[in-house]
Amino acid sequence: MEEQLLSFNPNKWVELYADALYAYTLPRVNDVQAAEDIVQNTFLSAWKARATYRGQASEKNWLYAICKNKIIDHFRKQSTGFKLIPTGEEELYFDESEHWRTEAAPRDWGVSMNQPVESKEFYSTLHKCKQKLKDIQQTVFVMKYMEDVESDEICKLLNITMSNYWVLIHRAKLHLRKCLEKNWIGLG
Amino acid sequence: MGKFNFIWLSCKKATYLISKKEEAKLSRLESVQLRMHLGICGFCNRFQKQTRFFTNKALHLHNHIEPKLSDEKKEEIKLSLKD
Repeated sequence: MEEQLLSFNPNKWVELYADALYAYTLPRVNDVQAAEDIVQNTFLSAWKARATYRGQASEKNWLYAICKNKIIDHFRKQSTGFKLIPTGEEELYFDESEHWRTEAAPRDWGVSMNQPVESKEFYSTLHKCKQKLKDIQQTVFVMKYMEDVESDEICKLLNITMSNYWVLIHRAKLHLRKCLEKNWIGLG
Repeated sequence: MGKFNFIWLSCKKATYLISKKEEAKLSRLESVQLRMHLGICGFCNRFQKQTRFFTNKALHLHNHIEPKLSDEKKEEIKLSLKD
């Protein structure tokens, strides 16, 4: 129960939690500088607020909660002034009659979708593919599928309409699916 | 497909509804349209299975990659945590 001992020893905090918080933050914000700042600010906020910490949560969970808020703040700032423009991105996948283009149509992945995938290769490819998404697409994908935030909450936080949100998340899925097919399965 | 056009979706619209369905309830017409489309379209079935597959995995992504914070940054943070 070492976690319960509230040492408030900053050196120990950093040794114990800095890498874990960074590993949690980096795939979400996808920017080394921003991730480092968020981790640093998490420790700073925790340090300043240490007097108010009552020990309801473990020290680790408390730091994660602060970190999550910093990540959401980062997303909120990032989305300021966002406007959804017709990009024609869907046309990469569909022809004029709205059928799948031959080269873009989903192929058989030849893997069972019900088996747990523990392969490092899958996750590192997913990470790389996700990094290629445009900022706002990536943000909605991360909030929905990695932070598990409700969609109406995401719209509120990012100040976008629900239909814009659907378009963004759909484009993200189209790109990610294609990218995984190419780089993880090795087709096309 | 002539007069049944209203009921037959294009693949572009069908995949959009597949994504929307994960987030919101489809209207009754949309549900019927999507079910009929998925009944005949192998590509869109794959799209649905494959996107479900990787979105379910995304939650665990950070457990499978191991970036480390640089030692310099760690020292900087330690120094900043002083009264």
